[in-house]
Amino acid sequence: MAAAEVVVPQIQDDSMAGVKRDYKGNRKEGNPGLPKDVVRNEYTSMFESFRDSLDEHHDRRQKIGKVSRDVTALSKKIVRKLNEPIPQNISSEIEKRTKEIKELLLTIVDDVAGLRRYQYSMPGIEEFVEAVSFAHYLETQTLITPEQMQAALGDDVQIPITPADYVFGLFDLTGEMMRFATAVTALSGAMPSGFMGEEEDNGRTILEDLQETANCAPISSKGWKDKKGVMIEQVRKVERVGYGVRVRGNERPKGVGYDFDVGEETAPVMD
Amino acid sequence: MASNSAPAMIDPAIFQFLQSHAEQDIDVNEKLSQITAVLNRQISTAQGYLSRIHSTPTSKIQPLLSQIEKEGIQPAISSIQELGKFASNYPYYKYNQRWSRSVQNLVAVMLVTAWLGGMGNESRPGEQGRLLRIEEVGEILEAPINLTDRDEFHVTIEEYILAMTDLTEELSRLAMNSVTMGDINLTVRISSFIKDLFAGFQLLNLKNDILRRRVDAVKYHVKKVEDVIYDLSLRNLIPEAKEEAS
Repeated sequence: MAAAEVVVPQIQDDSMAGVKRDYKGNRKEGNPGLPKDVVRNEYTSMFESFRDSLDEHHDRRQKIGKVSRDVTALSKKIVRKLNEPIPQNISSEIEKRTKEIKELLLTIVDDVAGLRRYQYSMPGIEEFVEAVSFAHYLETQTLITPEQMQAALGDDVQIPITPADYVFGLFDLTGEMMRFATAVTALSGAMPSGFMGEEEDNGRTILEDLQETANCAPISSKGWKDKKGVMIEQVRKVERVGYGVRVRGNERPKGVGYDFDVGEETAPVMD
Repeated sequence: MASNSAPAMIDPAIFQFLQSHAEQDIDVNEKLSQITAVLNRQISTAQGYLSRIHSTPTSKIQPLLSQIEKEGIQPAISSIQELGKFASNYPYYKYNQRWSRSVQNLVAVMLVTAWLGGMGNESRPGEQGRLLRIEEVGEILEAPINLTDRDEFHVTIEEYILAMTDLTEELSRLAMNSVTMGDINLTVRISSFIKDLFAGFQLLNLKNDILRRRVDAVKYHVKKVEDVIYDLSLRNLIPEAKEEAS
């Protein structure tokens, strides 16, 4: 329908697409939102108010979506950094990324306030939970609590991390733990335990931690079932790794050493 | 298992946190299923009555409309209130997809009934051709509309717009059937109303979502009515003193 193309959103942020321009590329002035040939009837103003609400909604969704994608990218960078075989400058890099994430989220605090928190999907938060919980695990060998997770966002960023964000973040966390466990086991010839900055070994291996995490994941709730299946599969994989290294461990050469001081090229890729 | 000296991998509080949330989620979903099952049954009943408009001549429509209101819409409204009371305890958008379709269907029934002359009250008697506004829908359902400042049950703009596309669909069917029943004035009236609404729909900037698909369908409703008007005008069957169909 040709007439539909005449209509252009009334209020447009400069950063949004949809700005009408003339053939020289200059922005067209005037009021592009009101086509002159609209014949008004008794419903026109009602539809105009709906249009304004919907435009606001779409703009907001776009804005949140963009921030969410950026947060996802930054969170993935954190995770990648954590998985590097030679952990160096980790904390400074993570701090930097986390700061960037917080700054991004700060721009949408109002957009996701109140009932809007559930209105717009923000998968980036899940990724952030994954990154923070993974860092937390490597540092302390404990599972981050929901309170600690919320605290990681800081006081300024008043965006509640929902139970669903937290749970889905944990599902992703076990994937990272699996990757880490298989990589380090292959390098060192033993299931890692007390691996990072721990003064004394607390006697638990990452396999035990994984098993416990999987046990803790809530029983059922629609949508969680698939993820939980994946999680259990991940635990099984690490169990096989643990078995393999115990039974056949002596038959193949270990990595260069028991610590992390090994060259990157020897790091096995196991996905 | 962890030795006693070191902290455990998982704080028991986390386990409880997850457990209680999962349980709450299951409970809420169960309760919502109960409420919406009743609600949907009531709406089907109302829709069943409503389908009789296509075989009820205008002269006999009033009793049918009161029946739709009393036996179809009224019971559903009480379910909506129960739903609203329960759902307002939880984040609205976490669960609203569970009932959004039902609300939309009920609002559609209300819109059609009102357009045909039903849904009147003391301050505003029913009259043919009346579009029930979203504010009136909210009053009848005793539910707020388009809430942005607090997290409670409400009727959204989207639900209302979708219900309007149901209205145009139902009326486009009625446009044909009213010719069969000999009420050509009604057909002409539907035609001009649908065109007015269609002009309104075109003001919306739609994204690729359900709203776009449903609003796109309105042009077929318009076309259906136009075809009927064309047939009528070709044969000079349209009563004079009514606006010409384009």
